[in-house]
Amino acid sequence: MRAYLLCLLISVFPAAAHAVIAKQDMRPGIPAGAEYLIGERSKPAVLLLHGFLQTREFSTVATLARGLQDAGYTVLAPTLSLNIPNRERSLACEAVHHHSLEQDVDEIGRWVGWLKARGHPTIVLVGHSFGSMQLLAYLSRTPDAAVKGYIGASLIEAQIGMASRPALIAQLENRVLSKRRALVTHALSFCRKYTSTPEGLLSYVRWDEAHVLAALKRSPVEVKLIMGDADDHLGQGWLKALQHIQAPMVIVQGASHFVDGQHEFDLLEHTLDFLEHVRQQGPAR
Amino acid sequence: MKWPDSISIKHIALAFITGLLILVSVIGGFAAYQTRAVTRSLEQHNQNAALSELSAAVERLLSQTEDQAANLAQWDETRQQLVLPEYYTYWRDQRVYESGMLPPRFVRAALYDESGAMLAPSPAKISLPARLPARLPLYQSTSWLVDEGGHIALYHAFPVHNDERRQALLGYGLIRLDFMPALLHHEGLQFTDPASVHLTLKPGEVLAAPALLSRLQFSARPDPDQMRFQTILSRTLLALFVLLVATALLGFVAYNRLLVRPLRRLSQDIDAMQHGRFSTHPSRSQAMRISELENIRRSLYDYQLQLRELHGSLEHQNREFHSQARQDALTGCHNRRAYEEDWEAFRQELKTAPQGVAFLLFDCDRFKAINDTYGHAKGDRVLTIIADALVMALRANDRLYRLGGDEFATFLSRTTPAQAKQIAQRCQSLIDASAFTDLGISEPVGISIGIAFCAADQLEHIDDLPKQADIAMYTAKQPGRNRIALYGEDTERAAQALVASRETNALFQALSTPGMVEMHYQSIHGLPGRQVDYYEALARIRYNDDLIMPDAFLPVISNRRLETEFDLAVLHQVDADLSSGQLPTGIGVSINLSAQSISRPEIVSHLLELSRHNARHPLMLEITETSLITQMTEVRTYLELLRTVHYRIAMDDFGTGYSPLRYLVDLPVDVVKFDISLVNKLGQDNRAGQVVADFARMMSDAGYVLVAEGVESDTVLCKVESLGIAHVQGYLLSRPLPLAKLSANPAGLEAGASALA
Repeated sequence: MRAYLLCLLISVFPAAAHAVIAKQDMRPGIPAGAEYLIGERSKPAVLLLHGFLQTREFSTVATLARGLQDAGYTVLAPTLSLNIPNRERSLACEAVHHHSLEQDVDEIGRWVGWLKARGHPTIVLVGHSFGSMQLLAYLSRTPDAAVKGYIGASLIEAQIGMASRPALIAQLENRVLSKRRALVTHALSFCRKYTSTPEGLLSYVRWDEAHVLAALKRSPVEVKLIMGDADDHLGQGWLKALQHIQAPMVIVQGASHFVDGQHEFDLLEHTLDFLEHVRQQGPAR
Repeated sequence: MKWPDSISIKHIALAFITGLLILVSVIGGFAAYQTRAVTRSLEQHNQNAALSELSAAVERLLSQTEDQAANLAQWDETRQQLVLPEYYTYWRDQRVYESGMLPPRFVRAALYDESGAMLAPSPAKISLPARLPARLPLYQSTSWLVDEGGHIALYHAFPVHNDERRQALLGYGLIRLDFMPALLHHEGLQFTDPASVHLTLKPGEVLAAPALLSRLQFSARPDPDQMRFQTILSRTLLALFVLLVATALLGFVAYNRLLVRPLRRLSQDIDAMQHGRFSTHPSRSQAMRISELENIRRSLYDYQLQLRELHGSLEHQNREFHSQARQDALTGCHNRRAYEEDWEAFRQELKTAPQGVAFLLFDCDRFKAINDTYGHAKGDRVLTIIADALVMALRANDRLYRLGGDEFATFLSRTTPAQAKQIAQRCQSLIDASAFTDLGISEPVGISIGIAFCAADQLEHIDDLPKQADIAMYTAKQPGRNRIALYGEDTERAAQALVASRETNALFQALSTPGMVEMHYQSIHGLPGRQVDYYEALARIRYNDDLIMPDAFLPVISNRRLETEFDLAVLHQVDADLSSGQLPTGIGVSINLSAQSISRPEIVSHLLELSRHNARHPLMLEITETSLITQMTEVRTYLELLRTVHYRIAMDDFGTGYSPLRYLVDLPVDVVKFDISLVNKLGQDNRAGQVVADFARMMSDAGYVLVAEGVESDTVLCKVESLGIAHVQGYLLSRPLPLAKLSANPAGLEAGASALA
């Protein structure tokens, strides 16, 4: 793995003085970047992941990153490549989605390793929305030991609209098995026409509510969910389901899916509480 | 070039209108020229605007293409295709358009790998190069144009890097535009005619984008506002011109009706008036529409009426004047002017209508004596009666002319000598029957008539008739005649008449030529010594070496009333003779003057001047007693004046006149010259001789100095001496001698005596 430290942006703000854009090739010809906000070494490093097709510049994520850095935490906010070299913008629903959840998880793993390589023994994964699900997918595999905690803000499953998920999965699996590489278009998350390779779409479609709840239950690290009770992106009963499995969860009253406005502070506060809790748990295993 | 003396007002109007139309045409032409210039300027402006617009459009298109290329180069999905080209065709045919990166029309895109090879072949209907041209500088964006089967394609190639820092080249992108549709479709060209935009490239030619504009052919779109402006302006100019032409025509018609025609009418009227033609045309009374012209017309009309009245009056007066000018005021018959006019007209008439013509000349016998005796008033009445009688005696169509004084004339047409004589006799009969006694004239008044006749075949002698009648008149007045004489028949002495005519000419020539009057001096002798006391100056006329005697020219003087002129000539000559010194000093000179001359101021003035000779030659004035002195008071005054300068006054021819005693009483007479007829009585031993002798003695006793003239015999001379008459004159003693001979023989007595002997 090659890592690049391409440039340092020095600004008048002290925090910005510790901001670095980190890049590394996720796959051949597919470099990806992440913003590395350097905090106190004594505090856990945070890997902050954006939502569906977004970038680290998404406001909820960017605001939270600045807040965490201000609180002295090192934050690494990557932008998933989605198989696009140096992707820097959110990807359109209709674009050729030539990526899969496995590749996303792989990139998360690479960034965890990048952090670890930078001497951060304690890493807390913080995700927003679909990113929370992708981080949960990473945790469901073989996470790095440095990962000590997980915060899922506005955690959501891979929604596919009104279609039958089993049928879709079966159709996609059929395509994959038959090696039919033609792009498929289907609703995914907030995209009504998500154009993707069959295997890529299939990788996401598998993560339904049950899959997510199971992953939560099997999380190897301490989990905390921060949800908004005004999140209209969530499916009916999702919060109850989360409560049903007794996942540690904070519901911010009045917060939407993007936990924006005044609820940004709630998000930051609850995140800092969890980070402080992790920090107090001690250094890495 | 010569300008006409005057120009018609119509021509002025035509010239004005023509000039106006020319001016309007010039202005219109200038406006059209200016419009054309403005139009060209606008066209040039449009052309420039079109060029600017097209340049901007091209720049926008190129810039837009560059922007699209830049967007494509920076687009994540572009980079994804260069890395993972599995779904490149989807991206190329659908995704780039659905994403809005490229417009769906006229534009196609393709991606090439780092070696310039196309990622995937393009569809058959889309012409895209399989490889990028090797010569292009592909490290940066490059545009070029080529002609592909009549369609101009704009290509824009651009590199695609893996990040914004362009550190790693992923491949290339190529955008192809259908240049013309892309240029013209999206651009709302306002100034450029889209159909005219054209780019011609040679086969295989590659045109770099920067050189595009210089190769682009186009034309400006006609500016609708400009076209509208031109149309409006052209219509306006045309309408203005038509309006002006119509106005000019109407103005000319109105001008013609309101000014030209009335002025022409007035001019014609004035011309007619100038030539004395007074039109009564009804249009004359028609009112004119122009008030000033109407005033002129009215004034002219009134003036014409007044002029017509004046003209009528003048014509009447002219007729009156003409009649009066041809009429003798005294007698009412025609005057000399009428005679001359009628005679000339008659002569002309004779040329076409030959006929026998008689010319009758009437002259009152002894009218001068009557006039002098009874006064002019009665003389005038005599003439009037004579004229009335003659008119009555003449034929109805014959005209009587008073030629002057007591001389009348008429000419008788279509007559014979006998008829003329008959008419003349009738004239005499009527005059003889006239009652002159009613005027207090007791003596008979008659007329002498001279007749000249010209036969129809001798009309070439018609001009001689007046002269012949005059000769006949002379004949008729001869004593013993019956007072009617026909020329040729009764004028035995025609030769004499011719002589008389010569003498008349001599007289008139003498009056106008100094020196022709020659004075002969006859001595007057004192008695009883018979010494020469003084000379009587007697006038002769020297004419062509002949000497014309007084009895030849005195009648002419009397008839022509030339007494004063002749006396002046005599005085001039006497003055010259006295001044010559040829007369012996102390010898006086007696000068004959007519009674009429004594009352003329110029005669008196000359006598006063002549009185300077009195010292050497005592001067005496002899007044003929036979002449009637009508202005006795004036004559007396002048004679007394002359006596103061030592003139002596003599009464000549005493005993033959009308009022001898009165003259002696009223006039300051010093000398009385007995007429020869009285002197001859002295030679007779009878009662008449005794009366004369007694009368002479009585006159001597009264203090008058007596002169007996015409003494031609010794008997008479002795008688004269016996009567105590102081002076004697006559051929017995001397004949009149010219001055030259008188100088040689001052006494003249011997000559006269010898002659008498």
